[in-house]
Amino acid sequence: MKKLAIGALAATALFGQVTYERLLKAPSEPNNWMTYSGSYKSWRYSSLDQINRQNVANLKVAWVQQMPTSHRIEATPIVVDGIMYVTEPPSNVFALDAATGRPYWHYKRSLPAYNVCCDAVNRGVAVLGDRVFVGTVDAHLVALNAKTGAVLWDVEVADRKTGYSVTGAPLVVKDMVITGVAGGEYGVRGFLDAYDIKTGKRRWRFNTVPGPGEKGHETWPTTGPHANSWKQGGGPTWVTGSFDPELNLLIWGVGNPSPDWNADVREGDNLYTDSAIALDVDTGKLKWHYQFVPHDANDWDAVQIPVLVDGDWQGKPRKLIYWAHRGGFYYVLDRETGEFLLGKPFAKQTWAKEIDTKGRPVRLPNSAPTVEGNVIWPGVQGATNWYSPSYNPLTSLFYLTVWENKGWYLKGDPKYTPGNRYVGSVPDIDMSDDQGYGAIRALNPKTGEMVWEHKTQTKPWSGVMTTGSNVLFGATGGWLNRSSREDGEAYFFALDAENGKELWRINLGGTMASNPMTYMVNGKQMVTMAAGSAVFTFALP
Amino acid sequence: MRIRVLMVMLGAAGLAAAQTTSPQATPAGRAAGEKIFRSHCASCHGVAGVGGTGPNLTTGVFYHGSTDADLYKNISQGIEGTAMPDQFFNGVQIWQIVAYVRAISAAPVKTKLPGNAAHGAELFSTKGCSGCHLVKGEGGVRGPDLSLIGSQRSVAHLRESINDPGAKVDKAYWVAKLITKDGRSRSGFVLNQDTYAVQMLDFADGLRTVNRSDFKDFGVDRGSIMPSYKDKLSASELDDLTAFLASLERTREKK
Ligand code: HEC
Ligand code: HEC
Repeated sequence: MKKLAIGALAATALFGQVTYERLLKAPSEPNNWMTYSGSYKSWRYSSLDQINRQNVANLKVAWVQQMPTSHRIEATPIVVDGIMYVTEPPSNVFALDAATGRPYWHYKRSLPAYNVCCDAVNRGVAVLGDRVFVGTVDAHLVALNAKTGAVLWDVEVADRKTGYSVTGAPLVVKDMVITGVAGGEYGVRGFLDAYDIKTGKRRWRFNTVPGPGEKGHETWPTTGPHANSWKQGGGPTWVTGSFDPELNLLIWGVGNPSPDWNADVREGDNLYTDSAIALDVDTGKLKWHYQFVPHDANDWDAVQIPVLVDGDWQGKPRKLIYWAHRGGFYYVLDRETGEFLLGKPFAKQTWAKEIDTKGRPVRLPNSAPTVEGNVIWPGVQGATNWYSPSYNPLTSLFYLTVWENKGWYLKGDPKYTPGNRYVGSVPDIDMSDDQGYGAIRALNPKTGEMVWEHKTQTKPWSGVMTTGSNVLFGATGGWLNRSSREDGEAYFFALDAENGKELWRINLGGTMASNPMTYMVNGKQMVTMAAGSAVFTFALP
Repeated sequence: MRIRVLMVMLGAAGLAAAQTTSPQATPAGRAAGEKIFRSHCASCHGVAGVGGTGPNLTTGVFYHGSTDADLYKNISQGIEGTAMPDQFFNGVQIWQIVAYVRAISAAPVKTKLPGNAAHGAELFSTKGCSGCHLVKGEGGVRGPDLSLIGSQRSVAHLRESINDPGAKVDKAYWVAKLITKDGRSRSGFVLNQDTYAVQMLDFADGLRTVNRSDFKDFGVDRGSIMPSYKDKLSASELDDLTAFLASLERTREKK
């Protein structure tokens, strides 16, 4: 096989070229950050340890890249052999010198009118060989030449006019580039796609809302006035998933059913919305699924990062997934079968009494939106959301961003028209009587119990990253430079991963809604975080 | 409302706003618009649009533009720099709301306000109002700027604000009271706060940042520092002051 031959040469001959073999062994190359979550297991962990708990307080800005955009950056940069590839929202790409932040090239996409629910954002690129892949808000997938930014191919993933967009970072597996879609507020029918790296030709598509004759279709109305609701059933896939090469399984989170806040038109469990799905990566066929919230009416997508850990479970080695879901429960699943192993709240929630032994939530009364409005914990943005968690093999702890907050859920009258919002009213959060607060929490992943927390005044929209020196990087939240009831703050900080003690912080002054990452260039460990429309990189003096 | 802030109207507004008159100006469209108005607008604009903490929308006067397209834009995108928020509704629904707003403002009932605005302006200084409020650049900063208040609130709300200031106090005017570890006490409006510090307009000291690590005692009083004038003004003085405040209008947008 040709690609294997290239792989064998990679380390020496083809400097600057990412191969599938290198992606498989990404954790052994901590100088680079080659996928959205740092590795296929999605730990957002780096074994780099030059910056440690003793010296992190000396971190200084190494460089800043101010992008021309006025949209906020949600991307995690990719770094390969001294080159950083990072997106500029809505759908542009920069190749930067990772040591200085100076651009090599800039891909600028001219965009038609597009539909996005929550600002025109992008979470980053994927790389393989001499190619960089980016999804766009007009729902295309584009391959660029990594040396020049020239467009190699540009394919339509879905029709932007009906509300589709691509905001998540693609994931490269073997010779395929996998991408999800966004559009859960527009009544799209979600899917996950794989494209041929060379040609851009689609290899397979998995529809997250099964159609007639497909398994799972019976969880949607099949007769009566709403028999077509599955066609606008939602289930977007807008956050990058994980990959298990031994099981050959792609594991991905599926978003909310549409319309978000009125479930009357879609009686049933509404598979595979709000679920974890495991697909055979070669065929796109479903191996198993686990649904976190059957028949969701609160917009609690399962668009979290599946964290894959091989661990001991009740005395036996087992392939596990750790998953902290938007609805406020932390879950452990079996990666081979999808079997539910544990479900425990990690934040205040008032919608489920418990998750029963089969893994199905036992609903509490008053846990769905009503015409008069209903106060429920967590609020619509959830107890956590799309921002990345981290698993650190040294502390064996699971770290995540948490929101302690409630929301007011109102049920309205959704009407589907292509390309328009299809939501069924709009909930209220940041309620003035109690806005709630944020926290970085460390959980014991075997039990879901909290080990420590670092509270923040605001509710962070950023994820966390941990390192081989037990330093955790995270950020505070809120919106800046916008009218808002909540006061935003933009501190990027370092905590001791063992006990949560704060070691360092800096105010970056722009809305933070991305994830920290780290790499090494010229012998120096660098830590990168975006704030507002700028990318900041820090290093020791 | 966070979600409104979040959900920037891009595509949806763009597709539908190409129209210039509401295609929903039908009895059914107006009825649907009224329903949305009651759940999402009445909290500020009052039931049936007669105003409250938002302006009266039945007077036939629209400071920010009065064509259907203007209304569409103002309702879907909000009005930058004011308390009028953007809306997370689809194009059809926005047009229904426009049709409803159009209907309630079609035949304005002209009522002349009682009271003498010129006398009200005098009272505004003699009764101490200007010590706390700015009007067109003159006055104090211990309360909101009232320079445009006549186009932002209903007359009923203005009266209530004078008689019962504590009724509903905006978060921006909650008062922080704190004692620092060195024994010093401070009070003022909270301008911003984060995990580490509180930024305030200290009534004695001006703009100050105080670190939470220096707090001995910290509390936020959600009441108003404005005294009630309920028994301190005659009925005609209240009319005069209200007439003065109502006359503080925005300049209307030229057609
Ligand atoms: C949070 C309170 C609030 C809500 C909710 C609100 N408004 Fe407003 N609205 C205001 C305020 C305050 C203004 C005046 C802005 C200014 O001129 O300073 C305003 C202005 C307007 C104007 C422009 C008036 C002019 O003079 O041109 C229109 C039209 C309007 N609102 C309609 C609506 C509709 C329709 C809704 C519901 C879909 C709504 N508003 C919801 C507070 C609100
Ligand atoms: C000690 C300072 C102080 C004085 C004196 C004072 N106010 Fe106020 N006023 C405030 C504050 C603070 C608020 C905002 C909090 C609230 O709503 O009560 C306010 C609110 C108002 C409002 C409502 C503004 C809005 O945005 O809706 C009006 C109208 C008003 N004042 C008028 C007056 C008038 C008229 C007088 C004199 C008769 C007066 N105030 C005296 C401090 C003051």
